[in-house]
Amino acid sequence: MAKRIKDSDNSLFPKAPDNLFIDALFASIGDGAIATDEFSRIVRINSIALDILGLSSSEVIGNWYPSVVVSVNEDGSHVSLMERSITKAFITGKPVSDKTYYLHKLGHQVPVSITVAPILIKNRPIGAINLFRDITQEYEIDSMKSEFISLASHQLRTPLSSIQTYSHMLLDGFMGEISKEQKTALEAIVDAGDRMNHLTDTLLNITRIEAGYMTVSKKDIDIKALAEKVIKEQDIEAKAKKLSISTNFPKENMIADTDKFITKEILTNLVSNAIKYTPERGQITISIKRVKDEIICSVDDTGIGIPKQSHEYIFNKFFRAPNVLDRDTTGTGLGLYLIKSLAERINIPLWFESDESKGTTFYFALPSAAPKNGKISQSRKSSKNIKDKI
Amino acid sequence: VERQENIYLSLVSITGDYLGPAAERFIDRQISNHLEKEPQTITKKDVGILLDWLRGSVSLLTDNENMVEEYIGQLKQLSGGKQTPSAKRH
Repeated sequence: MAKRIKDSDNSLFPKAPDNLFIDALFASIGDGAIATDEFSRIVRINSIALDILGLSSSEVIGNWYPSVVVSVNEDGSHVSLMERSITKAFITGKPVSDKTYYLHKLGHQVPVSITVAPILIKNRPIGAINLFRDITQEYEIDSMKSEFISLASHQLRTPLSSIQTYSHMLLDGFMGEISKEQKTALEAIVDAGDRMNHLTDTLLNITRIEAGYMTVSKKDIDIKALAEKVIKEQDIEAKAKKLSISTNFPKENMIADTDKFITKEILTNLVSNAIKYTPERGQITISIKRVKDEIICSVDDTGIGIPKQSHEYIFNKFFRAPNVLDRDTTGTGLGLYLIKSLAERINIPLWFESDESKGTTFYFALPSAAPKNGKISQSRKSSKNIKDKI
Repeated sequence: VERQENIYLSLVSITGDYLGPAAERFIDRQISNHLEKEPQTITKKDVGILLDWLRGSVSLLTDNENMVEEYIGQLKQLSGGKQTPSAKRH
């Protein structure tokens, strides 16, 4: 077919015989398929796509794609035209894959997994193709799995809390003197309990994010104070490994417009990770600096680093780099996945630099809080309006 | 360089009439993605290459085809080409 197009006249559009072939091609696709022309009018749609949207062919063909295929967020709000995958595919010139909800004709939301790509002939875009499938069943299974993990984690917390409380009381001598051997055993119990607590917290946070239960409440937050608090909370673990934690904070106030709980969780997990993967007597540095209208926070360590071949997988769920598998058998591969999920929840960039055997630096950028009546306030206000408009 | 910057500024200005303040970011992303160059270094020829991408992208933001063609017509003029007949209608 490509040869036929190449051999044909200068028209970018295939002629009638090709249409028959394309019709057959569309009908044979096992997923929903929609093709648009250069004005985003729908020129082809297969029966699976019509079923998913609850529409008939006559309601679709020739109509403007965004008005027929309505993409909504989980809360039912419309995805802005600029944020839609098809727009992104046109802006980037590359296929875009995503998960979203399409609005069925009867008003209910259908979760779909989509891939949209521009259709190119001689490197010129003549439209777009969207392939999508209904993932309702996957969502239901995933939701049940998340509910189970959430319930199990929550139920584990209550007995764990009793174990922790009484272990501490025994260790501190509230229930009579203990021998050296008993002390060692109790310390091991407390340590294991701490790890279980951390794991249940991680699992609960992940399930909350994945189920969409984690709410975001943005306020003006003093990032230097928050970082100091995180360092204080992790001081015991750091001292146990004889690690030195230093700060590199500017004198000026660093006020970010962010969610306090989520930001603290991100920083806590990054520092905890740095402690975990930095050998004894190592150095951890927490830095905060302002770059334009952002506050960049970083956690730098002199730890074991991340091998280059693992960089692209490091935020994947359950992924553990090969150089940590031998050293630490207690990790779950959920820490960085949680951190990335939390960053995505508040829509902030997260990135890292790492050199194996030298150490790693993780960064995240928070939006600086708007000064009262200042330039940033005005520009941020206007940028919100742009998004609302489009 | 000054002339190239003028082309870039004209492109943003024309686009701004249609997209408002989002124009600059919109154009910058198109240039860096499709032409892989710094926005301010865009030439007339580059504008010509971008036309189809801009038509496709703007068509996803409005269902008013006449307005899209009017916009593309203005960009064609900027690229040194002629306005399309549909653009001349307006």
